[in-house]
Amino acid sequence: MDCLEFRRRLGAEPHGRDPQMLAHREACPACTAAWEKAQRFERDLHGALDVPLPEGLAERVLLAQATGERQRQVRRRRMALGLAASLLIALGGGGILWRQAQAHTLPALAVAHMPGEIGALALTRPLAPAPVSAVFAERHAALRGPLPIDTTYVHACDVGPYRTVHLVSHPDGQPVVVLYVPTKQTSARRDFQREGWLGREVPLEHGTLVMLTNRGDRRPFDAVEQGWRVAIDGLGDNRVSEF
Amino acid sequence: MKRPVPVFSQVDSRQRQFEALTRAHAGDLYRFAYWLCGQDALAQDLVQETLLRAWKNLDALREAEAAKPWLLTILRREHARLHERRRFDTTELDEDLAEDAAWASPERHGDAAQLREAMHKLPHKYREPLLLQVLGGMSCEEIAAELGQQPGAVMTQLFRARQKLKAILHGERPEVQHGLS
Repeated sequence: MDCLEFRRRLGAEPHGRDPQMLAHREACPACTAAWEKAQRFERDLHGALDVPLPEGLAERVLLAQATGERQRQVRRRRMALGLAASLLIALGGGGILWRQAQAHTLPALAVAHMPGEIGALALTRPLAPAPVSAVFAERHAALRGPLPIDTTYVHACDVGPYRTVHLVSHPDGQPVVVLYVPTKQTSARRDFQREGWLGREVPLEHGTLVMLTNRGDRRPFDAVEQGWRVAIDGLGDNRVSEF
Repeated sequence: MKRPVPVFSQVDSRQRQFEALTRAHAGDLYRFAYWLCGQDALAQDLVQETLLRAWKNLDALREAEAAKPWLLTILRREHARLHERRRFDTTELDEDLAEDAAWASPERHGDAAQLREAMHKLPHKYREPLLLQVLGGMSCEEIAAELGQQPGAVMTQLFRARQKLKAILHGERPEVQHGLS
């Protein structure tokens, strides 16, 4: 390393510890003097740059950070509460809509119809076919097969918006309410339970049959369903002519 | 069986790390910012913006030794961003110093004061690498990486920075004042 290179390196890195620089400095008195002068300049420069710090700088930064963080937490908490409230409102609203929708199903309307007709369950004397057929005719409903012989009550009732034939059958001495809704088509046969009543909804060819009992036993439903299915839809080739 | 670390403990450790970072480096950051922009209030704003940005990205800091260069990088970016936004006042050094509380000390007079004045007058392209070396403690290679330049070019800038400082001290006219020019 020559003096020119040493001075160039010294000007760029006064604190450099490169072995070649150190060796040249040891060997060259002029460069040693230049190095000492450079060190003094660096000390002065460092001292000049060492400006006094503003009082409480770090604390002010920490305060700003803590305050901002706290605000973010408050905002996050408010947002979470808002979301929870929205969710509750949505669930509540959904629940109300669901209840309203449920209240207008055929099983719900059938059960709601029962209090005014509860006395019909006590009737035990079988009816002749004629009054039963008359009510079906009033509802413009077809009968294609023989009527069940255990029918003890018949009436043309309005159940919600539906014009129905309200019947009571007595298979094995247990009263079963039968509501035939000629204008209502349901998609599937299903059992239900509402307000102390056991029930079954049965889709027929041109309407729906709803059976109800408050005696806690669904077993008579099968026989009653079969009897009224034959009476209303007919049975294969034995179907009778429409009313 | 390894027990899960509670959430509040993680939050506390992050907060503690940030407090330690702030207390350890706020001074260095202020000095660097002050010599970068030449204004006390702006330097304090820069320090605050830098540390708040560091708080948001604290998880990116993996080693304590890397903290200072990491913070200096953030500060330089914040300075460039501020400069873009506000277009700094590039007034002469003397006008700034007259209102600057940081200078209301006996040190104002003498060699240190002259050096400070000379430092303010040093063009930005020389001042920044010199500050990274003297205040940031970075080597030529580290400065080159920070500025996106070749180490040889940085060496030349550092050499010229000192030459120009000495020239200003000997009464030559300054070329450029503060800012990014």
